[in-house]
Amino acid sequence: MFEALIHGLYLALSWKAFSLMMLTIPIGLTLGILPGVGGKVGLAILIPFCYGMPPEVGFAFLLGMHAVVHTGSPIPAILFNTPDGPAAATCVDGYPMAQKGEAGRAMGAALAASGVGGVVGAICMALTIPVVKPVVLAFGPPEFFTMTLVGLTFVAVMASESLIKGLMAGGMGMIISFVGMDPQTGVVRFAFNQLYLFDGINIVNVVIGIFAIAEVIDLGIQEAGAIAHTRPEDVKGAGVWQGIKDTFIHWKLTVRASVIGSIIGMVPGLGGDAASWICYGHAVQSSKTPERFGKGAVEGVLAPEAANNSKEGGGLIPTLAFGIPAGSGMAVLLGAFMVLGLVPGQEMLTKHLDVVFSMVWVLAFANVIGVLISLAFVGQLAKISFIKTSIIIPLILSFALLGSYLATSNFGDIFVTLAMGGVGYGMKAFKFPRGSFVLGMVLGKLSENYLHLSMNLYGTKFLLRPITLLLIAIVITSIVYQIIRKRKMVTR
Amino acid sequence: MRTKKGFCFAIIVALFLSLVTTLNAANPDFDYYKGKTITYIVATKPGGGYDVYGRLISKYLQKYIPGSLVIVKNVAGAGHIIGANETYMAKPDGRTIGTYNTGLIYAQLVGLQGIRFDLAKYRYIGKANSEHRVLLVSINSPYKSIKDLIESKEPIKMASSGVGTAAYNETIIVAAGLGANLKPIPGYSGREGEMGMMRGEVTGTIGSYAGLIGFIKAKECRILLQIANRKHKDMPDVPLAKELNLSDKGRKFMAIVAGNGDLGRLTAAPPNTQPGRLEALREAYKKALNDPALLKDAEKMMVDIDPAFGDEVEEMMKEVMHQPEENVTMLRSVIKVEQ
Repeated sequence: MFEALIHGLYLALSWKAFSLMMLTIPIGLTLGILPGVGGKVGLAILIPFCYGMPPEVGFAFLLGMHAVVHTGSPIPAILFNTPDGPAAATCVDGYPMAQKGEAGRAMGAALAASGVGGVVGAICMALTIPVVKPVVLAFGPPEFFTMTLVGLTFVAVMASESLIKGLMAGGMGMIISFVGMDPQTGVVRFAFNQLYLFDGINIVNVVIGIFAIAEVIDLGIQEAGAIAHTRPEDVKGAGVWQGIKDTFIHWKLTVRASVIGSIIGMVPGLGGDAASWICYGHAVQSSKTPERFGKGAVEGVLAPEAANNSKEGGGLIPTLAFGIPAGSGMAVLLGAFMVLGLVPGQEMLTKHLDVVFSMVWVLAFANVIGVLISLAFVGQLAKISFIKTSIIIPLILSFALLGSYLATSNFGDIFVTLAMGGVGYGMKAFKFPRGSFVLGMVLGKLSENYLHLSMNLYGTKFLLRPITLLLIAIVITSIVYQIIRKRKMVTR
Repeated sequence: MRTKKGFCFAIIVALFLSLVTTLNAANPDFDYYKGKTITYIVATKPGGGYDVYGRLISKYLQKYIPGSLVIVKNVAGAGHIIGANETYMAKPDGRTIGTYNTGLIYAQLVGLQGIRFDLAKYRYIGKANSEHRVLLVSINSPYKSIKDLIESKEPIKMASSGVGTAAYNETIIVAAGLGANLKPIPGYSGREGEMGMMRGEVTGTIGSYAGLIGFIKAKECRILLQIANRKHKDMPDVPLAKELNLSDKGRKFMAIVAGNGDLGRLTAAPPNTQPGRLEALREAYKKALNDPALLKDAEKMMVDIDPAFGDEVEEMMKEVMHQPEENVTMLRSVIKVEQ
């Protein structure tokens, strides 16, 4: 196996592979910056160019792009509160940091965390290869269900102001997730006879609406000014370099988030959005001063960004080992692998182990290089948060609506986004935590489906499985811990 | 005088003959397509099987319609219904064609909400493959033959996608056809069913051979039955559904599933598409699917090509759609969907 590791490095550094990777990294960064576009479009465009390439070159080409999509995505989230799906968690603290004039710091932290996350994800991928089959097979619908429960406890964690409001927001989010066809009964729920709603409401539209559009409304209402409420000269320690330092100051959190992100990415069943929100929730819960979150705490940027990148490394594992894509981006990548002539499965992990390791190396390099490239121009981008709102608002609006239309290329998207913008503004005004809403939406339908599957397969006995029991213990501990903490904070 | 009369007569006959031939044979109107764009609607998101076939075919269609540009437009949603609707309702000027899941047959037969098409009324350009359906079980399961399965008293859990999808409907129809105690477990999407089989939480699944090929080649399963009209070259020893000793009703059910399988990867044009342009599309499609370069590309992408063209496909579709009333009632009773 060690030879495969070295041979993989050799393949990744080969002239052709490396130069193609350098070519596609900027493409990935750009696609990541445009909300709603994302990696799948990039892959779909690049795949036809792969015909005829030897596998390791083809992978460097595709993975170079894929690895850095999530590196660029925090930029619009921090600057304009306009995220793509998984980067939404970064908005919650990233945008308030921009409002405080600390956009540079936020972006520096996000990028450095992305880099660390990507590398850790690649390492996790390499480490789990020998044990992949038993590990991935140990997680079935009961475990997926309890993992969603763990995630759902964070709905309450993120409700710093009022627990009731948090639970209400989370509940509303879950209801929105139930729109569409229910796989258990074939009944279409809440679609009001609109074919567009048969497939449910797309998370990208919700997230862009509830964060970006709501923010545009707010900016429009406030007195003329800029996103940042301070003058650039007044902010100390606001720069990109400070952000990078933050990542290493909080290195334990960054690494923990990366590992959690990797694990969630590895288990096909939760999806990418869950990873960043769960890590965000973990950051809040593990902090000694949780009340800072939502107002511009740098840890609220570090954790989700690390998870966002590490989950890609995790997600490659079931994709390569079983041909089971962990997410729709992976599904397109899987198609690409077939085009390049590699069949996922036992063969990949035995005969072609060096190619698998070359992918690990490419992931690691691409992440680091992507971060370095971004750092070069991000300092300039931070100045955007000081531009007048009269210029910024139309830009954000067009950017956001374009991003949401690209989600499913259906005009229904625009309506949903605008409607959610109204909802988001209302939530902001009445202090309902938007993070809880989004988390409820991400996990709602998923938890319902897994609950039904678990009951159909095992009856109530599913609760007695070992990993399930462990996860339930985590849920209970988490809830108890939060109650105790809230009591302590009240008495303080 | 005689020559003049004969001459006139000859001219009249010639005019008559040419009139007759132009009315009967639609001449392929390739000139129309010079400098025009043809939109090929794929009823799924980019990246899946339909998308792969769509892009492959569009590349070669363009080759055989000189001057044209064929672009793929992904119109996903509602289990292919939105894409199929859009294809059906497009202007019949020969500039829109589409592909969608043949499983919409069940959706149309039971009258699912939102359907605006009639599968029998599309003008079909061709089909690219036969989707062999197979029934397989995990390699760790105790069932060694289809007979074992049918005779089992225990309910056998079969992984399936959501209720109302074509795969779910086929699982129920096959179970009814075989008279076997198969219990579909809905809610598995994509390849999660295969993982479920590896975990041992479900015993088997019914799906397309091509879709399950990774799993089959990894020798993680045992194929007990193939549901098609003729045996797949890779499966000479697996029994065909029609070889089994089934009831009359059972045979009919299996025939419906096999028939649908034959009509895989359809390419359709809206009803009343201009005949000359339809003919051009059909001719180009036929040449494309016989092009050795396309076959080579298909092999690289690991997709099978088993084509049928034009009128033949229309006949096959009409036969499947015009089921006798009793069959439709039988199907409806088995696929109970709430509206």
